[in-house]
Amino acid sequence: MAIHQSYVAISLILLSGLVATCYGVPFTSLNKTIGITATPSIPSGQVLKGGESTLTISWSLNATSSVGIDTSDYRTVEIKLCYAPISQKDRGWRRTEEELQKDKTCQHKIVERPYNPSNNMYTATIKKDVPSATYFVRLYVHNSHKEVVAFGDTTDAMKMTNLFEVVAVTGRSIGLDIASVCFSAFSIISLFGFFILEKRRAKTK
Amino acid sequence: MQPPSKTTPFSLPVDSDHKATKFRPFTISPPHMRAFHLAWISLFSCFFSTFAIPPLLPAIRRDLHLTAADVGRAGVASFAGSIFSRLAMGPICDLLGPCAATAAFSLLTAPAVLSASFMSNSTSFIVIRFLIGFSLANFVACQFWMSSMFSNNVVAVANGVAAGWASVGSGFTQLVMPLIYSFLINTVNLSSSTAWRVAFFVPAFFQTVTALMVLAFGQDLPDGKYKRSSNITGQISKENAFTILLNGLKNYRGWILGLTYGFCFGVELTTDNILAQYFYERFNLDIKTAGAIAASFGLANIVSRPAGGLVSDEMGRRFGMRGRLWSLWVVQTAAGLLCFLLGRSNSLWGSVLVVCCFSFFVQAASGLTFGVVPFVSKRSLGVISGMTGSGGTIGAVITQLLLFSGSSGNYMSTQTSISLMGILMVFCTLPLTLLYFPHSGGMFCRPNYPPTHQQHYDHLLQCQ
Repeated sequence: MAIHQSYVAISLILLSGLVATCYGVPFTSLNKTIGITATPSIPSGQVLKGGESTLTISWSLNATSSVGIDTSDYRTVEIKLCYAPISQKDRGWRRTEEELQKDKTCQHKIVERPYNPSNNMYTATIKKDVPSATYFVRLYVHNSHKEVVAFGDTTDAMKMTNLFEVVAVTGRSIGLDIASVCFSAFSIISLFGFFILEKRRAKTK
Repeated sequence: MQPPSKTTPFSLPVDSDHKATKFRPFTISPPHMRAFHLAWISLFSCFFSTFAIPPLLPAIRRDLHLTAADVGRAGVASFAGSIFSRLAMGPICDLLGPCAATAAFSLLTAPAVLSASFMSNSTSFIVIRFLIGFSLANFVACQFWMSSMFSNNVVAVANGVAAGWASVGSGFTQLVMPLIYSFLINTVNLSSSTAWRVAFFVPAFFQTVTALMVLAFGQDLPDGKYKRSSNITGQISKENAFTILLNGLKNYRGWILGLTYGFCFGVELTTDNILAQYFYERFNLDIKTAGAIAASFGLANIVSRPAGGLVSDEMGRRFGMRGRLWSLWVVQTAAGLLCFLLGRSNSLWGSVLVVCCFSFFVQAASGLTFGVVPFVSKRSLGVISGMTGSGGTIGAVITQLLLFSGSSGNYMSTQTSISLMGILMVFCTLPLTLLYFPHSGGMFCRPNYPPTHQQHYDHLLQCQ
């Protein structure tokens, strides 16, 4: 019986090790040991502008939630901008998947830094290519093997609080609009021009 | 068949109507082969424009804040646009002639392609896809033009090659538009949001140039301009138009062919839309590989649709209309069974193999359909072509809404939808058995007036 139990224990440890080293790490296996806040540069209730507005992000190891967890292997942190559920609704290309490799929630990288348990701060400008949507900020901790072992969110488990909205820069410009109108006019005028020419030719014949 | 006239100025052998009796696609001898090249290139540009949006969707949906429902609705809208325009194109061709009709549609829809640069929300996205879809009406004009230029013994292969090579535009655009977009971002250093807007100038320019070439160099008939032209008084031409339209609509064969075409070409259009996503999600391929498989489905048109036309003409030569109908039924049913098989296939390589066979058969069926259409009615050729052509896009809309829209995703998986589509195809091909031509019979019936020799046979075919 004891041998059986030890076999089960060993295989469980091996499995969990495999799970950790496997490319598809499930999100639920991660420990939420980091506390992170992101403060937008504008008053709450307003929208952030892509390419202009900034986010001040600060993070540190959360003493209470990291009790009993081995944090010695934490090496680097990666901070990403992630879509809130309202911006994921009916958009399969942004959906949340259990396996991190397939997960499409966090598509915009903000910064990558070496791990430090406390006193971390970074001011990020929202990049121009970030689309208009509602976001929160997530931090992933990587170990020495570049695997994800822990994370932290600026929002709660339901992803409903502390969200902020970004409005992207539009690609439309006056020059482009004018070029479109001119080209369209040319296209229509050339059609009627041909018809008028045909009629004139028919008349002279 | 009458021997070719020795005093003819044409470089190809012609029949009594001066329609070419030989089809040589790699020459540009006027007027027949020049008309062929102008027709397929201008239709190619229309397919290129209509399907230019899907490959750039990842960039567009980011900018316009689109949901999956918006994208689906816009896809349906682009087909809906072509349904109405193809129906209208029939009588317009009968009235104005195919050259003027093609050029008019191309030049009037080019502004719609350019307005893609004005899009800023989901409503404008749906409206613009609807308007760009109008350009697909040129398909009807193309088939009408080929049927006016080529004699009965080569009309199916001429139609098949023209439509097949033009359909390649839908696959070609999936490869080229991302390249243009990348070029604008990497080399010209535009932002993503501006780059995709500028990219649409390319299909618009292409469409305009081909339309102007048709106006400058094309002619409707081997002998010159279209007969029913503006020198007839307005009163008579209006009566003619209405009679022609009614004559076409009353012909039950147009309706049956519209239905069967809906389940070969319509299925092809729907598959163009869903295939990349299917391979991406089911077999976890990356988006580029999935896109390449989808593009190759469209590119197969280079050979498969002409092959359908060739088979139709060969069967027509040996067995008459009965041969054309039987070959159409066999090929389209086989395509339906392959579609069913695609949904049941669980391995990646099995699916790729089935997709290759499926693409060949479903596109050949489209070519075979237009081997039958020219024989339905000579007077209302445009209307019948328009009814069949619209039937194609109606089929696309129906299959897409029934089986691949957001709501159906809740009840069944994509592979079940694909199998169901195959079953639908098999059932909707059965009405071909009801087709009956008094002088050439049907699939199971003999003609009422069996031809005594070839000359009589040809003459009788043209009488309707």
